[in-house]
Amino acid sequence: MLSRVADSLYWMSRYMERTDGILRMLKVNHHSSQDDREGFTWQPVLKIFSSLEDAQIEEMEMNGRKVLQYMVVDRDNPSSVLNMVTKSRENARSVQDNITKELWQALNEFYHVVRHERLEYSLRVDDPMTVLDSLVRQCMLYYGVTDNTMSRGEGLSFMNTGKFLERAIQSADILDVRFSDLSYDLEKSTDTTYWKYLLLSVSGYELYLKRYRSGFEARNVIDLILFNVDFPRSVLYSLNQLHRQFARLKDEQNMEGFSKVDFIIGRVRSKVQYSDVQSVARIGLHNYLKEITADFYEIGNALNQVYFANS
Amino acid sequence: MEAADLFEKYPHNPLVWDEMHAPDHVRPQYQKVFDFLLDIPADELSKKEELAKRLFMSQGITFTVYSSGEGIEKIFPFDIIPRIIMASEWQLIERGISQRLRALNLFLKDVYHQQFILKDGIVPIDLVYSCPHFLREMQGVNVPFDIYVQIAGIDLIRDNDGTFYVLEDNLRTPSGVSYMIENREITKRIFPDLIPQNHVLPVTHYPNILYKNLMSFSPRQVSSPNIVLLTPGIFNSAYFEHTTLARLMGIELVEGRDLVVENHRVYMKTTGGLQQVDVIYRRVDDDFLDPLVFNPDSTLGVSGLLSAYRKGNVAIVNAIGNGVADDKAIYVYVPEMIRYYLNEEPILKNVPTLHLAKPDEQKHVLANIHKMVIKKTNESGGYGMLMGHVASEKEIEDYKKEILKDPRQFIAQPVISLSSAPCYINGVMQPRRIDLRPFALCGPNGIEIVPGGLTRVALREGSLVVNSSQGGGSKDTWVLAGS
Repeated sequence: MLSRVADSLYWMSRYMERTDGILRMLKVNHHSSQDDREGFTWQPVLKIFSSLEDAQIEEMEMNGRKVLQYMVVDRDNPSSVLNMVTKSRENARSVQDNITKELWQALNEFYHVVRHERLEYSLRVDDPMTVLDSLVRQCMLYYGVTDNTMSRGEGLSFMNTGKFLERAIQSADILDVRFSDLSYDLEKSTDTTYWKYLLLSVSGYELYLKRYRSGFEARNVIDLILFNVDFPRSVLYSLNQLHRQFARLKDEQNMEGFSKVDFIIGRVRSKVQYSDVQSVARIGLHNYLKEITADFYEIGNALNQVYFANS
Repeated sequence: MEAADLFEKYPHNPLVWDEMHAPDHVRPQYQKVFDFLLDIPADELSKKEELAKRLFMSQGITFTVYSSGEGIEKIFPFDIIPRIIMASEWQLIERGISQRLRALNLFLKDVYHQQFILKDGIVPIDLVYSCPHFLREMQGVNVPFDIYVQIAGIDLIRDNDGTFYVLEDNLRTPSGVSYMIENREITKRIFPDLIPQNHVLPVTHYPNILYKNLMSFSPRQVSSPNIVLLTPGIFNSAYFEHTTLARLMGIELVEGRDLVVENHRVYMKTTGGLQQVDVIYRRVDDDFLDPLVFNPDSTLGVSGLLSAYRKGNVAIVNAIGNGVADDKAIYVYVPEMIRYYLNEEPILKNVPTLHLAKPDEQKHVLANIHKMVIKKTNESGGYGMLMGHVASEKEIEDYKKEILKDPRQFIAQPVISLSSAPCYINGVMQPRRIDLRPFALCGPNGIEIVPGGLTRVALREGSLVVNSSQGGGSKDTWVLAGS
């Protein structure tokens, strides 16, 4: 496979994964903004998914409609859904002969949906939930079509590598931002709705209820989002998948490069697999997350060097 | 609106050949479609037009226009009423184009080797050597099977008596074939059952023939040679076509930056290291192919490509240097080439063409400029043309000055009244002028022409210019099976 093609598939997939993450987060935040909760703000969303300065965030954080406009359809926001989907489609467009026609059409339609002028109007006037749901559905379509039509080859492996790396980064980011609210104090008690919405934003609420019978505790939330192997958005799950998907790229012709990337993935995976909430508490959540996030970026750089011919 | 109204107000111009309507009857190849259209409620056609647009858009059969930093997706305009060609007409076209292409291939071989045709004085030497697309770098280079033009798009038009003429030969990187294929797919969706009822010959096998030919050009004798399609990239207006062809043939779509030449061999940069490339179907112009030899500023090409080509380590399709054969001044001599190389009479006529480098012809043209179409010999896409019958005095004066600066670069043709075909525009059936570009494929086993082609339409009322860059659109083109 051409290096340029591998690069484009990887980024196409990362941008879609990020789109999906943004949309879920917006949905949950909007929902939670309807509770009239004390101290509610859009600040974490903007912190995780935008590169705005603190002052700009402050200006916008209490205005839900404005945040939605900014995060979904704003053309000047490089991380708006519109720009993410555009980038993803632009990558897809340059590798159309390496993805199925169905997948190209799914992305192309998504692109036309987010660019339609009706969307901006609906976000301003209609029920935002309905609008966001319709966009999430486009993401689901993308995932479904990918799974059902793409051949199990190198291309899909690069897409999945991008997808799970992006997901691991996101889950770590979400934990970091949410716990920075609590000054990373795992003993600090907060009201249950805080946890509820955090879990909802990563689709982990129901699993949490079934798994942890003792109610909402910071330690359990960390356990779920970092270490639960059955939870598809946990960091460990993402790393296991990343390792598995990447292993398919093993190739005699490029053993040296493969081993280099494989080593880094294996190292961070073991690091996460063989830690638990106690050990995280010992070194401090923020330090721990900083450490593994640095590893994630190292993986990205190594992929760049070894496979995408960008050094 | 009553269904019968559809053609009631359809104007008949006695000076123009209409593809559907003879002066007093509907031509037989159109009869079934005509009857079908009369049975359809008028607003139904508008719905079909809408559906066609939506299908083009959602399938990404678009080109991107970049303005103010943002890409806007545009559809190449499509008219839903098919253009229909009878079996007997097609046989003539097929024979005529094959003949022409055989002669043009022999000419290219000749002009880049012994140059018999120049020495015998059939084609003037100075005409060849003054053509900017005649590349001395190609002198003495052998190409596989002596085939220079593997893919040709020959533009045909019809005069008012229905005779086909060759308007121009496109022997470099002719485009539009993806629209031949996609327009047919759209027709299948908007007019279900109509195609089998009319016994329309299929066009979908075009990529298979091309692929088979590309395989055979591989210089390495390996079971699965590496074939790539070289595109200028996503900003090119024909990018959709490049991806479609790559997909339909299952070959790799590459850009110049994906390739590298080492030791006179071409390689592509893959995730598993460098991989040798055997055949390049390039959609990049000669000028941009190799910055070491041609335009040094080009970033679309590959340094050293020409050296690999000259060594015979890679096949390039179409060959480099073909521009000398589709130069509009050389075009004048194609009938002579056919007689010279093949000892046959040309089956398809040329449009009478005057070359402004010849003093007597120049005098005649300048005196009759209002009846002439004047074109630059090396421009395509409808650029740099003067339509004498509609141009203003100022435009004519300016153009004359241009001509006198370098008459070699200009030819003149009488204004040919292109044939018309019914088009559904703004809810009304109206005649618009059309041409026809069939795509001929030349391989070691001969020339194959898929029955069909691209019918281009001058969508502006009264316009004679069909080029997409000048507001042209296209139609699905049907060739009916013989009875």
